[in-house]
Amino acid sequence: MVGFEKGLTAGSFHTVRMSETVTVGIVGLGTHGANHARLLREMGHEVFGVDADPTARREFEEAFDRPAYESPNDLFDREVDAVVVSTPNKFHQPTAVGALEAGLDVLLEKPLAHDLESAERIAETAERTGNVCMVGFHHRYRNVCRVARSYVESGYLGDLTHIDAKFVRRRGVPGRGTWYTSEEIAGGGVLLDTGAHCLDLLLYLSGWPELESVNAAVDSYFGHRDDYAYLDMWGEDDEAKMYDVEDTVTAFCEFENGLTATVEVAWAANDEGSHSYRIKGTDAGAKLDITNSLNAVEPVPDQRNDLTLYEVRQGGRDHFVDSSVHVRPNDPYTDELETFVDAVVSGERPSTTSVHEALDVQRVIHRIYEARDD
Amino acid sequence: MTGSDSGTGKTIQSVETSLRVVDALRERDRAGVTEIAGALGCSKAAVHHHVSTLCKHGYLERVDGEYRLGLGFLSVGGQVREAQPLYHLAEEDVRDLAAETGEQARLVAEHDGSGITIFRATGERDGRGDRPRMHLGSDEPLYCTAAGKAFLAELPEDRIDRYLAETPLESYTDATVTDPELLREELATIRAEGVAFDDEERYEGVRCVASAVDSPGGELLGAISVSGPTERLSGERFRTELPDLLRNVVGVVELENTYATWTEQFSQS
Repeated sequence: MVGFEKGLTAGSFHTVRMSETVTVGIVGLGTHGANHARLLREMGHEVFGVDADPTARREFEEAFDRPAYESPNDLFDREVDAVVVSTPNKFHQPTAVGALEAGLDVLLEKPLAHDLESAERIAETAERTGNVCMVGFHHRYRNVCRVARSYVESGYLGDLTHIDAKFVRRRGVPGRGTWYTSEEIAGGGVLLDTGAHCLDLLLYLSGWPELESVNAAVDSYFGHRDDYAYLDMWGEDDEAKMYDVEDTVTAFCEFENGLTATVEVAWAANDEGSHSYRIKGTDAGAKLDITNSLNAVEPVPDQRNDLTLYEVRQGGRDHFVDSSVHVRPNDPYTDELETFVDAVVSGERPSTTSVHEALDVQRVIHRIYEARDD
Repeated sequence: MTGSDSGTGKTIQSVETSLRVVDALRERDRAGVTEIAGALGCSKAAVHHHVSTLCKHGYLERVDGEYRLGLGFLSVGGQVREAQPLYHLAEEDVRDLAAETGEQARLVAEHDGSGITIFRATGERDGRGDRPRMHLGSDEPLYCTAAGKAFLAELPEDRIDRYLAETPLESYTDATVTDPELLREELATIRAEGVAFDDEERYEGVRCVASAVDSPGGELLGAISVSGPTERLSGERFRTELPDLLRNVVGVVELENTYATWTEQFSQS
């Protein structure tokens, strides 16, 4: 865990709810599932595991000294308050729908689902059952992202004209050859993976405008190559297995309110890695840079949290003003889980990273893939 | 390997004879009592009793004074296939594979040292003239077929030793690998790459690529293969494109199998 984030929440409003402990079932015990389990334990909550894979169950039991079950039903029969769904994308729908129907609150790892139809089904079930349903777009919980949004929301930037959204890794294909790179199981490549984060932040920063039109190029340049070279890989490298997804997507989006956006996402590119949003308004501009400079594994110690405002003023003489915004870095995963646990305890559904927002993201993903076929 | 546990316990001679009658007809398509009696070394009267009994129960049919296997076996066979979890799991994927490649795609299960086709789908390139057409239930030796070698590669060394000790490596074509050591080397490569090839080793002019499907616990469930004539299965397509495609399909089937109980449970609710 990131060292400097320790202790920052002490004295904040978060301490109050430490007395409320909840029991959470972690369904899908890969890297994300284990990460959620570890954080929940650190926060004082009880966890159980579920995975269909016996190896994953054994590793969970060894790491957490808590039981791991084979099927979600084994979990639903027990006293659990909530479920974290971190299975491969294709199995989000059956798992989340089953949990919601069983009366449980659900936090899904992003993206909401592997395709739009499944995403809609999860959202419908969440709506009908009235249970909490959140999706793990953790970047949204970064303090610096919230500050950036506040500048847009308050009108400080004027009307937004263009956003240049970029989530590019130099070499960062995740789990190459595993389900992450299988069209059938993941639903797609980089667009459903880091692209989902990028579109989520684009829509969040701009206030969820309606997409009017989109042009897109969807390509695979690096990940399938035998000579693919890299420094670090998220997940395991199973190069001999599944690989039939895109690693590069470039899209130009026009929204109904007149905003345009370029979206560039890549698991691999011969370029500097960057995770940034250049927001241009009629009164001022902003650059939000949350690049993770190792490009490979999150969370890592070297995480940018930069927000710069760009203005032109006239006092004295015409001049340019570039302002650096400094905000405490925070651990977005912990804040995400605290928001979720709060919602589970209070029964009030949070608007942040809700299933409805995640469905909007999924619709844009769907539109971009559709645009590829034109 | 799965299979009958022969060699232990008592067997009933007349049942054995009935089954030998069935096997004789499998080899011949159709035959009269005299021919069957000759093949089995039994009296005509005895064979007559067996074929009459089998006919009565629908397992044989009498056509123009000869006998052939009856539709009763198809009913049994269909039911056997329905009971194979792999069939339900992978049928659609194999169908898609045939459509995507245009070739014959098959789902093969291992039984008693043979590979048995439990589902077959054909793509649009697969012409009527293309042979062989591996019908449902057809069985093939392991050592000279892609699916069979994919199975063998999954076995521990001692089981491979046993298989090689029990199985004569008969030569079907000039390319059939009949040297056990060469076969062992090839199995090691298959194990590393996850894909097995049959380069005209069973039938002249026919190539096949296959990959084994495992359970999350490492249990062998079956194999998926794509086969076609050498004119179409050659070069990059045979050695790279089809193997990549098969790895994708097998990976998907394995994951769907891993989560099958979940998706079934919830689709019923």
